[in-house]
Amino acid sequence: MKKVLIVDDSLSVARQLEKIISESSDFTSVGHAKNGAEAIKMNHSENPDIICMDMNMPGMDGLTALRTLSVMDKDVKVVMVTSLGGVGDKFTEALKLGAKNVISKPFESDTVLRILREL
Amino acid sequence: MAVKFFGQYLVEQGIVASQALLNAIHIQEKNNLKLGELAVTMGLITPADIERVHTIQASRDIKLGDLLVEMKLLSLDQLNDVLTRQKNTHLYIGEALVMVGALTGDQLKSHLEAFSADQAKYLSNDVELPITSPNSAIWEMTADLTYKMVTRLLGLQFKTGLCVAVTTIPANFMLAAIDFIGDVEGRYLILVSEELQKTIARAILSEESVDHEPVEVLDDTVMEFVNVVCGNVVAKASQMGVIMNIKPPVAIRPPAGGLPIAEGWIALSFPLHISNGDTMELILQIRE
Repeated sequence: MKKVLIVDDSLSVARQLEKIISESSDFTSVGHAKNGAEAIKMNHSENPDIICMDMNMPGMDGLTALRTLSVMDKDVKVVMVTSLGGVGDKFTEALKLGAKNVISKPFESDTVLRILREL
Repeated sequence: MAVKFFGQYLVEQGIVASQALLNAIHIQEKNNLKLGELAVTMGLITPADIERVHTIQASRDIKLGDLLVEMKLLSLDQLNDVLTRQKNTHLYIGEALVMVGALTGDQLKSHLEAFSADQAKYLSNDVELPITSPNSAIWEMTADLTYKMVTRLLGLQFKTGLCVAVTTIPANFMLAAIDFIGDVEGRYLILVSEELQKTIARAILSEESVDHEPVEVLDDTVMEFVNVVCGNVVAKASQMGVIMNIKPPVAIRPPAGGLPIAEGWIALSFPLHISNGDTMELILQIRE
């Protein structure tokens, strides 16, 4: 079972993603970080296989955290989950920084699970 | 369900690998030169000219081409030649994906058709502002996209009321707001009643009852709705050639007398009369 860390300042998005993950036997949620800095700390303490991370967060944003995570941890797979996914520059920057995929909000549970399984 | 561009659609659907898309974007970046770069390649101006023009452009709201003509570095005919060549040699992402072997020509055609069908729901725009604004098209698109998301994401039926300019943001149970920054600045606000907040929370959390949810979760669902709409507005604006970004959303409890609009700003109110008798209000605060 793969461990997933959710990173989003929104409580409701964290709830949505935790619900989707808990309904699959392939994944388990190891926690919820509310910004990029917390994500980096929790990546160290929880050692997740996958991180689902928002871009637009107060404090350290998702792309800044992704830049750090890509250097610090070559094994963790990061998927951005963001309302800004349809912005070409943001999407391309995320892929260039090492994100495995970018899921646009609003998302459907089938899309999230398919993309996580493909990692 | 969101506003997307073709490359993102292909990767999200698992049709094209992210590395193949990056390879295609790399080819695009090498091929699709910016106006100044192309003018240099055509031998019409020098890199030093471009550097000088960019320095001047930083303090003026003027397009590069217009400035090159104004500074007599290009004639109008030369500018048109550069623009024509830029248009004729533009490489689209689909063509680049065929070049890197990620898609065949036939696959490109069929996926483009599927993509167009997926995005068709975001194409129409029936909103017209009661004022003239240099960025009317962006604000009209913002209101239109809000209507579409209220239907698709919240599942609410509604009728739109008359859009009017207001001098105060009226009092209501709560509002969620996001600031737009970049080429176009403004503030996006959604005002809701206590009951409507619960309706939004039920839709966002996919729960039948939210009666026992804490206030911060209920507030967060309205903020997240605003975040989703505004993120998609930024995506749509980028397709219109306008670079915008958003700040994180905030929740506000407006005082009984409402919130005044700061000097130099106009606020436009778009009421949405929900079928259960409640009213949601979208307010766009834009620079005068």
